[in-house]
Amino acid sequence: MSRNLHRRLDAALIVRLVGLCFFVYLFFGFMLLPCLNTLTSIFNTKNAAGERDPFAVIRFFFAGSMGKYVWNSLKLALCLIVTVNVVGVSIVLLTEYFDIKGAKILRLGYMTTMIYSGVALVTGYLFLYAPDGILTSALKNAFPNANANWFSGFNAVLFTMTFACTSNHALFLRNAIRGIDYNTVEAARNMGAKPFKVLLKVVFPTLVPTMFSLTVMTFITGLCAMSAPTLLGYDSINPEIVRLAGSSTADESFPQARAALLSIILAMFTILLLTVLTAYERRGHYLSVSKTKARLQKQKITNPVANVLAHIYAYVLFVIYMTPVVMIVIFSFQTFGAIRMKKLDLTQWTMLNFFGSRDYEYLTSRGTYKLRKGAISGLFANEATLGGIKISFILSLLAAALACVIVVVACNYIFANKKKKSGTVLEYCLLFPWLLPTILICYSYRTYFNAENIWYVGNQNLYYAEGVRLLLVVAYTVVRLPFSLRMVKASFYAIDEELEDAARNLGAGSLRTFLKVKLPIILPSVLAVFALNFNYLFTEYDMSATFASSYGTTYAMVIQAMCAEEGLYGYNVNASGRRCASTVFIMLVSGLILYLVYGVGARDLGERLEARDRRRKRREKWLGRMKRA
Amino acid sequence: MIKLNDIVVKFGDFTALHSINVHVKEGEFFTFLGPSGCGKTTTLRTLTGFIEPVSGTVEVKGRDITHVPIEERNIGIVFQSYALFPTMTVYDNIAFGLKVKKLKKAEIDKKVRDIAKKVELSDEQLGKAVTQLSGGQQQRVAIARALVTGPAIICMDEPLSNLDAKLRVQLRNELKKMQRDFGITTIYVTHDQEEALTLSDRIAVFNSGVIEQIGTPNEVYNHSETEFVCNFIGDINRLSPELAGQLAGVDPRCHNYIRLERVRVGGQPREKDLCLEGRVESLEYYGLYIKYTIALGCQTVKVIEKNDGVNIYEPGQAVTVLLNPRDVMSYEEVAAK
Repeated sequence: MSRNLHRRLDAALIVRLVGLCFFVYLFFGFMLLPCLNTLTSIFNTKNAAGERDPFAVIRFFFAGSMGKYVWNSLKLALCLIVTVNVVGVSIVLLTEYFDIKGAKILRLGYMTTMIYSGVALVTGYLFLYAPDGILTSALKNAFPNANANWFSGFNAVLFTMTFACTSNHALFLRNAIRGIDYNTVEAARNMGAKPFKVLLKVVFPTLVPTMFSLTVMTFITGLCAMSAPTLLGYDSINPEIVRLAGSSTADESFPQARAALLSIILAMFTILLLTVLTAYERRGHYLSVSKTKARLQKQKITNPVANVLAHIYAYVLFVIYMTPVVMIVIFSFQTFGAIRMKKLDLTQWTMLNFFGSRDYEYLTSRGTYKLRKGAISGLFANEATLGGIKISFILSLLAAALACVIVVVACNYIFANKKKKSGTVLEYCLLFPWLLPTILICYSYRTYFNAENIWYVGNQNLYYAEGVRLLLVVAYTVVRLPFSLRMVKASFYAIDEELEDAARNLGAGSLRTFLKVKLPIILPSVLAVFALNFNYLFTEYDMSATFASSYGTTYAMVIQAMCAEEGLYGYNVNASGRRCASTVFIMLVSGLILYLVYGVGARDLGERLEARDRRRKRREKWLGRMKRA
Repeated sequence: MIKLNDIVVKFGDFTALHSINVHVKEGEFFTFLGPSGCGKTTTLRTLTGFIEPVSGTVEVKGRDITHVPIEERNIGIVFQSYALFPTMTVYDNIAFGLKVKKLKKAEIDKKVRDIAKKVELSDEQLGKAVTQLSGGQQQRVAIARALVTGPAIICMDEPLSNLDAKLRVQLRNELKKMQRDFGITTIYVTHDQEEALTLSDRIAVFNSGVIEQIGTPNEVYNHSETEFVCNFIGDINRLSPELAGQLAGVDPRCHNYIRLERVRVGGQPREKDLCLEGRVESLEYYGLYIKYTIALGCQTVKVIEKNDGVNIYEPGQAVTVLLNPRDVMSYEEVAAK
């Protein structure tokens, strides 16, 4: 064997060893041990006499009100399955299957939740429907006896989450319905089936696998709901875990152990549902056997009454989706006075909610006027908001990149060792966080690393001061690993094995083959995953709320805080305006990222070269014109 | 030039190649032909170094390269899918191997442009993405990339299988011309017997991990050594013992075959010809020729007749069928393994 080869083998061995150490450190140190610690903490409780009582929390659970939170979460999840599926299927059928006038505009409206979700969406709904919200105020004016608090508790959470959770339907169910072979519809019609029967017997069965996955995802989302119950006041598991995590034994009985128990209950539900989903997926899917698939053509609703009703339903949904977005965009350019009056004032336009600041003069209880300097400040001028944006931006960027790097390296190993157990083990380790609710991971970090005896992090308390930011980055990364792995792995499947063989035949080593051949092929997908991770984390609320540290006050937490601190003693006078501006900013960032991912990023080299040629020709034409002029 | 000596390849318990022996001469166009899963690609991958044999040796120009790494074998490959790097331009694809060898930029440029000229790729095409090229142009890029590093041998793994019928015929001719121009030893893998017959100097016919016959196209077609080769190459009639017994010198106990074009319909009988009365059952019209299925009483035979536009027989029509014992290929029954 040549010396060259020896050197190459040595280098490869070192890289493998370093990689192995890293993955073992990541899995045991930041996935398994913290979560095991949470599990064991349930059984480490002490009773009033100070004696160790392993089952105290479990007894407490059955005797006390803890079951209420579980039941509330289950109730929400079960109701969401019905409402989200009804609305989700409706919006897809109305835009993709039935011939509804203005379907393109409707689709845009229904898809707004893709750029507008989480805390931003909930605060948007609050802006309209809260007791002092725009629509509630308008209703109160029209009907003085109406209940101003109508938008709170279970109904408000269900309403908000129903419309917030249809993004997956808009994406996946839309793709599934577009994949239907139109010939099957025509065949059914040809055999005398009525349109409704075709929909029920031919179209729906092909959508069942996607619907099942979406139902499980919806159930888990409902169960793990955080921002909506927190902001709209509903006692479900996650807000209770966060509350208990911040509580002390002086206030109530073993709050930490109770939080741990609730986290584990959530995890058990998640594992159960994912097991059911996996078992179902293994049974196979309904695949089209057609070799010449025909593109689905929109179905006209022949019954005029049904047609009118369908149009009305479509546009009512559109109004529900669009009202918060339109209102928020408009009010983000209104002065604080107009926002405070909850009335659109066409003379009160301003950019102050975004840029700059102004002093504010207010009347004190003594009847005197006082000036608060810079009390009216824009999104990019307010220190707290800007701080939240900065923190979220940096942490999300780091975590999104880290998750991508880890997953790309892992996938490269998994694919190179497809038939070996080590590849499978690595894959399952990276999918591990999928089994756990994010709140469990964060809660586990918060309790486990809040100590100075964790040797593998240098005996430092990471839940202290700026260490929290490190914990947040690790939590963000770990939580995004399963999603990133699934997406990046799919892109690795797209690499033709012959490309690798060709590179090797032309003399390239494994590193060069990876960097020059494989990476450029998967790069668009990796960038897409990076962008989607960033998008998700930038407005993430659940994790940062669980950590609840002033060093980890993220953008979403700042937005949430804006709901409560409106204009007290002349501070934060335009918090609502800034909240609107924040939502607009989030929509712009998310929209831009989605455009870059699915618009620009999806182009291959040929399309990019063609676009470059077109630009060059346009430039030459323009220069020619200039010269002539 | 190339010697594969007693090559045995196993995948777990499955033996993919049983003692393969092949000798390829310098400058020869040598084809591995056989059905799917017969071991032809495995043999090619053993030669190129992607598979290491359990036993046996691979020699090129007298040098044992059995354990030499792929990149040091100096063998160019044109893959079935062409395996062109989709994220690189045509130029970068061709230059890839030269860059790996760390040649100077000017030298790389010269070599790339020279080879591009030889395979008829324009400068404009060099700047394009491979996805912007047609199937034929992509094949030329794959060949240029395989040849630019100056390999001693070029291996092609079913490079025409992804193309439509018309383009396949066109590129087949171009491929043969290029091989002659470059004079490079070529190993070609295909399951298409027509492709093998038209392109090759010699053919090795594979079956279940063994080579059934190595010979020129004429040898494997007209003098098939085994029943498998006879059946695999071209369409053929198997004669029933009853019919074979009527042919002078043909042993009816053997498996007897006759090619479609050797069966004649009408015309003057030649020496030793067996004349049989038959009836046309059906016909398939191919334009250049017509394929008839004719019932002879004891069996049906398929016949190919040149389409002269005059003598076209209709179904049900009575015809005279002529068979000559000289055209019959006979094989003794092989005991099942």
